[in-house]
Amino acid sequence: MTKQSNDPNGKLMMSRRGMLLSGATLLAGSLAASLCPSLSLAAADAGAQSRFMQLSNLLINHQLNPDVGNRIAEAATGQYKNFAGMLDAIIAIAEKKNAAQVEDFFADIPEGELKDFANWVIFAWYSGCSSDKRDAKVFTYEEALTFKTTSDVVTIPSYGISGPNLWTRPNVPLSVPVPRF
Amino acid sequence: MVTKNSADVVIVGTGVVGVVIAEQLLDAGHSVLMVEAGPRVSRAEVVENWRNAPLGVKGDTSVAYPPRPWAPHPTGAEKGDDAYLQFTGPDAYDQTFIRYAGGSTWHWAGTSWRLTPEDMRINSLYGVGRDWAFDYDTLEPYYVRTEHKLGICGPSDRTKQWPQTGDRSAPYPMPDLPFSPGEVRFTEVVKTLGYNNIPVSQARNSGMPYDGRPACCANNNCVPVCPVAAKYDAETALHRLEKKGATILVDAVVYKVETNAQNKIEAVSYYDQHKESHRITGKLFVLACNGLENPKLLLMSKDDRNPNGVANSSDQVGRNMMDHPARSFTVTTKDPYWSGIGPVVNSGIMETSQGAFRSEHAGAYFRYNNFARNRFVTFAALKKGLVGKALDEEIRRMTACTADIVAAHEILADPNNRLTLSDKKDWLGLPKPSIHYDVGDYVRKCWEVYSQPIGKKIAEAMGATDVKISPKFNNSKHIMGGTIMGKDAGNSVVDVDCRAHDHENLFIPGGGAMAAGACGNSTITMVALAIKAGDAMVEQMRGA
Repeated sequence: MTKQSNDPNGKLMMSRRGMLLSGATLLAGSLAASLCPSLSLAAADAGAQSRFMQLSNLLINHQLNPDVGNRIAEAATGQYKNFAGMLDAIIAIAEKKNAAQVEDFFADIPEGELKDFANWVIFAWYSGCSSDKRDAKVFTYEEALTFKTTSDVVTIPSYGISGPNLWTRPNVPLSVPVPRF
Repeated sequence: MVTKNSADVVIVGTGVVGVVIAEQLLDAGHSVLMVEAGPRVSRAEVVENWRNAPLGVKGDTSVAYPPRPWAPHPTGAEKGDDAYLQFTGPDAYDQTFIRYAGGSTWHWAGTSWRLTPEDMRINSLYGVGRDWAFDYDTLEPYYVRTEHKLGICGPSDRTKQWPQTGDRSAPYPMPDLPFSPGEVRFTEVVKTLGYNNIPVSQARNSGMPYDGRPACCANNNCVPVCPVAAKYDAETALHRLEKKGATILVDAVVYKVETNAQNKIEAVSYYDQHKESHRITGKLFVLACNGLENPKLLLMSKDDRNPNGVANSSDQVGRNMMDHPARSFTVTTKDPYWSGIGPVVNSGIMETSQGAFRSEHAGAYFRYNNFARNRFVTFAALKKGLVGKALDEEIRRMTACTADIVAAHEILADPNNRLTLSDKKDWLGLPKPSIHYDVGDYVRKCWEVYSQPIGKKIAEAMGATDVKISPKFNNSKHIMGGTIMGKDAGNSVVDVDCRAHDHENLFIPGGGAMAAGACGNSTITMVALAIKAGDAMVEQMRGA
């Protein structure tokens, strides 16, 4: 990728717990920004990005890279007029259910604009793109979550995970669980 | 002496055909000037282009190789009048090739099946198509030289080699690559049906470096680019050619082949990217810009002595366009196959391409595509509306339990399958190629009575719970015909050395010369013909 993530080894990736907790801190920060007009617009954007990561960590039960999240959030800001409102609405639904994972609250998101947005956020993280079309925005290739689901078996094309002629192995049954990521 | 406007040997095109000939002539002490329509780029740039492309279009190789305005080539984004290739006839000749230094081996799979002795005598044996102008034994030494030049690995076990008929005069320079788990399972399954899925001979370094390039490490990205150059592509040879004295011009679009009063080739002219014209003279000329661009250039170059186009007194230039029409079976299986471990094509069933049935219908070659499946299944899995653990497991299941089986068919040389010059123009104002193409009854009958039933049996034996068959014939991107070879100058364009019948100092080697293409990928045969032509050119230069 031209836009390299800062942390291919995941050191900067935030844990779900850490992300959810920091979301509250940053929410307070963005509240402060709204009370202090002298604070820069960038700070408010950082707040929205943080809020987006909070939502993402509710919708996806995995560790997520904030750099990728920032790119998705930036695209979402232009794509969805009610971006901030939808973030708040879905987070509120999750909080009302005391959700620890997406399965706890996803069915409670009403069909329509909110559900479509939630599905798009999941789509963006798993495919690394804004759509399946030719003109899609690309948020990441190698960190698209689709590849994480199979990382114990197949390489991400163009990246080698083997050595010369060292890929002979038993076929992995479906009973082997999805890798933790 | 070579300059930017003169050399002993002028080669139009920098793909594999031009590159191997250039090296033969350089090694024989002759000056060589190569002219490439498109740009010269680094491998890193190509890899970055591909990685930065959206997941939904990664199957379109042109995303890794965006065409320059002056050197258009087919892209998935352009349709209809905007497309570079214009189509007439019932089927689209929808090829993929690139106009970049290094040519289309940048994105080939590396698959290197030889023709069989029978493939080259299809008319004598089966009463269809055209025989080659020489036999397999004549071509065999050039196959060996190709295998060693490109670094083609293959099995030492004779029972696993292709072809089974005909002799091999030398072993492969490297052993065959190991099968992935999916290929092992596929091989076991088709064996129960009586079919042998054998290791493909492929231009990929197996277990060792070769020719200054590293061993394959299963990046599973042979198409559209090997990121480490473990797969041969002609770009890897360009620096070596320059060290040997070659001059390589890029962004130089040859638009005219000029004849003199003796009807020998005197010069070629090209436009640079600023639309300025330049002229290059030489003693021998090679057109090595693929089976589409070669006939286009010849037709564009018509003059008073050659009113149908250069090298076209036979009216065969642009005719007999061939490919390997393909149908795919996308199977969903109960048990995992896990495509995507190892190179993208690593085995095949070739024996189904041979038999007495060829008097009635085509043969077909079946292959298990070993591309990692994530990009093929992710969108479908996401559309199911799953989340969390269920989504993860569904993507994993679909990646493991889907596979593409491809049947590639033999097409006959048919003069009605023809490239002409379109009235549509490209950026330089040059005519776009227009191709009338019909896969023909020979192929269609095969599909109805032979290849489709076999494909369905294979799918069933694989334990398929769902099979989706492509609705039409797709192109295999194996451009053949167009400047067909023969001994009779009245019905062919080039002689047995790929020398134009009409012009003693013009060579047109490569896939265009193939009189019959059988079912296997054409590049190894193109290169064998190029080496044979190179020998003839060296010999001809001795008398110059």
